[in-house]
Amino acid sequence: MHTSELLHKYHVDPNTWDEMYRNEAVREQYQGVVNFLQQLSVDELNKKEELAKRLFMSQGITFTVYSSGEGVEKIFPFDIIPRIITGAEWDHIEKGIKQRLKALNLFLKDVYHNQFILKDGVVPVDMVYSCPHYLRVMQNFPVPYDIYVHISGIDLIRNNDGSFYILEDNLRTPSGVSYMLENREITKRIFPDLIPSNNVRSVTEYPNILHKNLVSLSPRQISNPTIVLLTPGLYNSAYFEHTTLARLMGVELVEGRDLVVDNHKVFMKTTTGLQQVDVIYRRVDDDFLDPLIFNTGSLLGVAGIMNAYRKGNVAIVNAVGNGVADDKAIYSYVPAMIRYYLNEEPILKNVPTYQLANKEEREYVFGNINNMVVKKTNESGGYGMLMGHAAGEEEIENYKKEILKDPRQFIAQPTISLSSSPCYMNGALTPRRVDLRPYALCGPGGIEIVPGGLTRVALREGSLVVNSSQGGGSKDTWVLAV
Amino acid sequence: MLSRVADSLYWMSRYMERCDGMLRMLKINYAASQDDIQEFSWIPALKLLTYANEAEATALAKNSRDVLLYIVIGKENSNSVLNIATKARENGRSVQDHITKEMWQCLNDFYHMMREERVIQWLQKEDPITILDILLKQCLLYFGTTDVTMARGESHAFISMGKFLERGVQTADILDVKFSALGGEYEKAADAAYWKYLLLSISGLELYLKTYRGGFEAMNVVEQSVMNGNFPRSILYSVKNFKQYFERLNSEKNYKSYNEVGFMIGKLESKIKFTTTQTIVNEGLSKFLQEIKTDLLAIGNALNKNYFAYS
Repeated sequence: MHTSELLHKYHVDPNTWDEMYRNEAVREQYQGVVNFLQQLSVDELNKKEELAKRLFMSQGITFTVYSSGEGVEKIFPFDIIPRIITGAEWDHIEKGIKQRLKALNLFLKDVYHNQFILKDGVVPVDMVYSCPHYLRVMQNFPVPYDIYVHISGIDLIRNNDGSFYILEDNLRTPSGVSYMLENREITKRIFPDLIPSNNVRSVTEYPNILHKNLVSLSPRQISNPTIVLLTPGLYNSAYFEHTTLARLMGVELVEGRDLVVDNHKVFMKTTTGLQQVDVIYRRVDDDFLDPLIFNTGSLLGVAGIMNAYRKGNVAIVNAVGNGVADDKAIYSYVPAMIRYYLNEEPILKNVPTYQLANKEEREYVFGNINNMVVKKTNESGGYGMLMGHAAGEEEIENYKKEILKDPRQFIAQPTISLSSSPCYMNGALTPRRVDLRPYALCGPGGIEIVPGGLTRVALREGSLVVNSSQGGGSKDTWVLAV
Repeated sequence: MLSRVADSLYWMSRYMERCDGMLRMLKINYAASQDDIQEFSWIPALKLLTYANEAEATALAKNSRDVLLYIVIGKENSNSVLNIATKARENGRSVQDHITKEMWQCLNDFYHMMREERVIQWLQKEDPITILDILLKQCLLYFGTTDVTMARGESHAFISMGKFLERGVQTADILDVKFSALGGEYEKAADAAYWKYLLLSISGLELYLKTYRGGFEAMNVVEQSVMNGNFPRSILYSVKNFKQYFERLNSEKNYKSYNEVGFMIGKLESKIKFTTTQTIVNEGLSKFLQEIKTDLLAIGNALNKNYFAYS
């Protein structure tokens, strides 16, 4: 296919940073891929897209949509064109995330112990205590190695000047890492040889690093501790991810009903009796973890697990109570935390955030609502958002009423134009908006980030919402060695 | 191994073995229905493979295509191949980290294949044998993949136990239904086709022809399908293999459970091994088969109690 044919539909929005194009020319990092695509016909490209779909389907990388009483299996949309990040860009991102995580970990330790940061007035006390994810049960409990955030999935976006901004800190049970790994496997199948010839760094180390970290957290000093991955079960939308990670690490995948607590120790029920569990990588939210302490109606967790945790007989990953640090209202204080704890300037910028609990800021937001995105502080997955530029008047009025009921639960940010990246659609490349979620792993040996991550893409034209629940898809994410 | 995992592996395997057995039965029964020499009826197959009552079975049995559709893809039929395949896959899905990726893909492909439009098309309008063969091949692919890729550990032991228990129950069921249709007068079915199709449905015709000279005799059919230790669908073969895999579970930690179930298996094996066809017939074939089925199901329950229970 000729270049013009491939690119004739590629119209970049002038106020947007495009990952592939600059001044009507293809950026260097995309040159290899564009050259390769030019050698393929539309037919061949369609076939590759078809192959990718088939691979996802046959591997059961699907989620189920229930309609008219019958489950229909769908795959998460995958765009075959990789998103490419240069070595230099990656270095910057890596440094920035490490710095931020260091500060967030210190913050968590601080708010659950001495609370210096509150006493010094850097973060308002009521901001912390009004957060539903601040858990008193965690106060004065020394977590192993002072690590709270073992696994994080911090979301980054790119403004129109090309600089990276932090959009959200996901410090509880971030998901999507299996897509980082699977998307790469699919690319290897549909574009043979393209990855080595472009010097793309490998992401396959992720499960090994995670496993190494989990082993090192074992409270019992034994050579072969029992590590389990606790899943809410088969019907959880991320179940595929749980089985993939368990398989890749060679650890046992358990449900709450497989575990039992006896004498403040956690055991799993096996065919040869009870076996003590040392480390739990849980993908169950805090609220559902222990019916004796949190949600009493929950069957997903294990009764007594929090006491075993507090006794130090079992390690839980991520730590319980992390939600106070990735609360969207606390988010705006992270740059201050970095200065306070590390005495450094933040490497990655925050998106300006208005606290709607603050009267002046609220009035400013209401006056400029058309340029704002309003979010609930404790929701994720793109739910409960108001996109000011796209909302109708009635929707805005209703939302304002919601806000006034409990302003602490809302924040607002100016609409940021996400960068665009080429997607293969109907026989040509078209720009679509993307974000980036690298996965950072923190163990006793420090923070490690595999070079890559999950690029989520808003597949609808002009849309800025990348969440999979809202019509988003994903891409393979390449970090180049040079 | 987690009790829940053992349970799921065992049932995944039982359900796949059942799919295979059912498809095999259907294929042969359909072929028999096209053979106008004998008086063919779908009723025994419907009794064996579905929960349909007398009236429903009689109504369905009038039309071969209706029977096939009901048993293969009937959504309201809880024992249809489609529903059994779905259960096999759901069990497999919950233990993906204990089976190989190849096996999981195989199960997954089988499930998607069952739901393809062409299955209905072929069963309804075109040659059903073609589509039954395609589905059977996918089952064989699953068995082969399991054999070639699974490590010979505890997981494999539970998978194999599920397979052989199910197979033993199936053969006992088929014999029971086929022989009770004759009402005890085995010589009545002088028609060779009757025995031929019975043997074909458990893939035993060729072995029979090589072993026995002089045509079909009820006693010989019983001997081969119950007590021939080299015939892979015989009850004895299934029990022997079940026992062999069960013995791998022996460990110091669970000797009590092991002894309890081990006793039951040993007893059943001896019961089959140390008898003769003459004794079986004298005491009543149907009674004998009922006892075998009861014993097999009791073993299943004992496994459940001793190895799978997690309450």
